[in-house]
Amino acid sequence: MYTIGKVATLAGVSPDTLRYYEKERLITPASKTAAGYRLYNDEAVRRIRFIKTAQHCGFSLSDIQELLTLKQAESACCEDVRSLAIEKKLHIEHKLRALQAMSRALDDLIQGCEGGEAATDDCPILAALENSLHEVSL
Amino acid sequence: MTIKIEVIAAPGCRKCASAQGELRAIAASVLGEDRLVWREVSVLEELDYAVSLGVLSMPAIAVNGELRFSSLPTPEQFRTMLTTLASC
Repeated sequence: MYTIGKVATLAGVSPDTLRYYEKERLITPASKTAAGYRLYNDEAVRRIRFIKTAQHCGFSLSDIQELLTLKQAESACCEDVRSLAIEKKLHIEHKLRALQAMSRALDDLIQGCEGGEAATDDCPILAALENSLHEVSL
Repeated sequence: MTIKIEVIAAPGCRKCASAQGELRAIAASVLGEDRLVWREVSVLEELDYAVSLGVLSMPAIAVNGELRFSSLPTPEQFRTMLTTLASC
């Protein structure tokens, strides 16, 4: 059995993160000492690593809760997990396109400005942003 | 005028496959086979198209290139949407 500090080090997270995971019902200590300190087993270490890897793939804690539920549900199958992964990919692709649109908008602004030491009152980027604010409020 | 209905789903999705038959039959009965263009879109093979439609969950249904259902509709919801569309 491991203390919270030890299991945190083994899994590469902070003790605060573990307390947060517990609050979100993603992990629970295997037991507690007489003094009330949390104790974790090897399964907890595997679970924390699972959570971290899933987060790295873009899954939110709520998604991970669902994945962990599917993992333990007898009626669930690989197809359910695959569907979740495909839906996550769709969300990421949407975000990528939104970021690309932002990047293109910034390209337009950057191309319209030569920089230099002109006063900010004459800055085309600030002017363009200011004008777009007028357009929004009209 | 034909009406194009696209079901965007993951290949191998049993839930999607079982619902598609029923929804297609409803579409054929409301619109008639000659007005119906039915297409099953694999989200993995046409990811860009699915994203351009705004699909975030599956199965989703697009009508004439516009996302109408972001999850599986009930047969009643689907029939109501088609009836409204057919009367326009």
